Amino acid sequence: MDFSWLSDPFYQGYLWEGFINTLWLLAVSAVGGLILAVGVAMARLRGPRPLAWLAWAFTTVIRGTPLLVQLFFFYYGVGRLLEGLPGIRDSMFWPLLRDPFFFAALTFILSVGAYSGEVIRGAMQSVPRGELEAGRAFGLSGFQVLYRLWLPRAIQLCLPTLTGEMILLLKSVPLVSTIALMDLLQAANIIRDETFLVYEPLLLIAGIYLATTIVLTLVLRLVELNFPGMRPTRRRWLPIR
Amino acid sequence: MTSSPPPSSHSPTTTAPAVKADHLIKHFGDLEVLKGVSLEVPEGTVTSIIGASGSGKSTLLRCMNLLERPDQGELAIADETIRFTRNPQGDIIDLDRRQLQRLRAKVTMVFQQFNLWPHLSVLGNVIEAPMRVKGLSRKRATALGEHYLERVGMADRRDAYPGFLSGGQQQRVAIARALAMEPRLLLFDEPTSALDPERVNEVLGVIRGLADEGRTMLLVTHEMHFAREVSDQLVYLDQGRIAASGTPEDVFDDPRCRQFMAPAA
Repeated sequence: MDFSWLSDPFYQGYLWEGFINTLWLLAVSAVGGLILAVGVAMARLRGPRPLAWLAWAFTTVIRGTPLLVQLFFFYYGVGRLLEGLPGIRDSMFWPLLRDPFFFAALTFILSVGAYSGEVIRGAMQSVPRGELEAGRAFGLSGFQVLYRLWLPRAIQLCLPTLTGEMILLLKSVPLVSTIALMDLLQAANIIRDETFLVYEPLLLIAGIYLATTIVLTLVLRLVELNFPGMRPTRRRWLPIR
Repeated sequence: MTSSPPPSSHSPTTTAPAVKADHLIKHFGDLEVLKGVSLEVPEGTVTSIIGASGSGKSTLLRCMNLLERPDQGELAIADETIRFTRNPQGDIIDLDRRQLQRLRAKVTMVFQQFNLWPHLSVLGNVIEAPMRVKGLSRKRATALGEHYLERVGMADRRDAYPGFLSGGQQQRVAIARALAMEPRLLLFDEPTSALDPERVNEVLGVIRGLADEGRTMLLVTHEMHFAREVSDQLVYLDQGRIAASGTPEDVFDDPRCRQFMAPAA
């Protein structure tokens, strides 16, 4: 095992940039995706017929096609099409449209929106009806019932599942190395190409992914445990016996 | 007992009834659950609805704050006639949302399954509607909430969450939640049916106290002795119709419901 390349500041820079980009992409996709997911779930449960139908079609298409294909579709397909529009290079959006990060984030947000949308829809359906009925019986408006009672309870119910979705999301990030975005895998590829070492850089980034996953799991577990009203019997720090 | 407004006192029955239902009809699909029920709850009195399972008593109660929308009939709650939208055949097809929300602030409900909000603390459950529906400040709502939690003997658990309480405690919190809106009418939907037998009395005790205060209440219950004891008016519902109504003594003596009462008497 030869890890001497680790002392090279160039490689350190690549790895650091790759790590930061990974975390950024994760954060942006998680936040944007979960907001979209709530919208998708609401549209399917309570939206007018055409909107519910649209949300179903969206979910089906996104979940039914490979993430890598979607990434290529947006970056090489939509991205190149946009590039051809006259005057777009002078527009304020050009720096965004040139940036692979934008297309990666867009793809991932749609993906999280579709997968987590179904998770949240299921959770919303499992909130006991009586709790929502009590809200209406006390005169809360439909919107108040939604944001004060229904959504918080649904999110509480599906937090462990959403944690899983976030971990899957983290490990989808290496796909973006295929559209020339500097993530951890891209950094490892560069190091491999220049040092002819195959295993060491891969081992290193695998370790970074594992460590990040563990931290992510613990943080989300903490959120789960501190969710208001959590039953004491489920208050175990590690979800193992 | 600290600050806070006194509960509504005994008011004579000369004022308008807290609720007046006229010939309510309600279907669930092909099943006619209410077949023209008329009911009046005078201000400051307690009315109990009794009857077998499936007789329509919960549905009738739930019509009183329009959790169920009747298909036909007239309804006046707290001096307001409900503005139903009707189709040309006279069937009720819609309600006035704003009136609905205003009325529900005046008619609150205690459910069989408590239906507390598990992600809010005991106090949070009690102040939620006063703050968001009546627009009280947090401070004002908290004072009110503490007063009524004291009233049901749950003040010391104000920061606990519902999942940590026994059924009886949860139901007492649910009663405080209903009281904190300072309603004209309190609805109880089988408030002790989901409780362990040893917890029933603590909840009945609270309800009896409210009856003694002269609150206007409408309750659906299977506790016959209790109904007889606290009610000014008893309504015996049988297959969607009122089979007998009047003072508890009258109804218990009525031959039509003797058979139904037999196990309790």
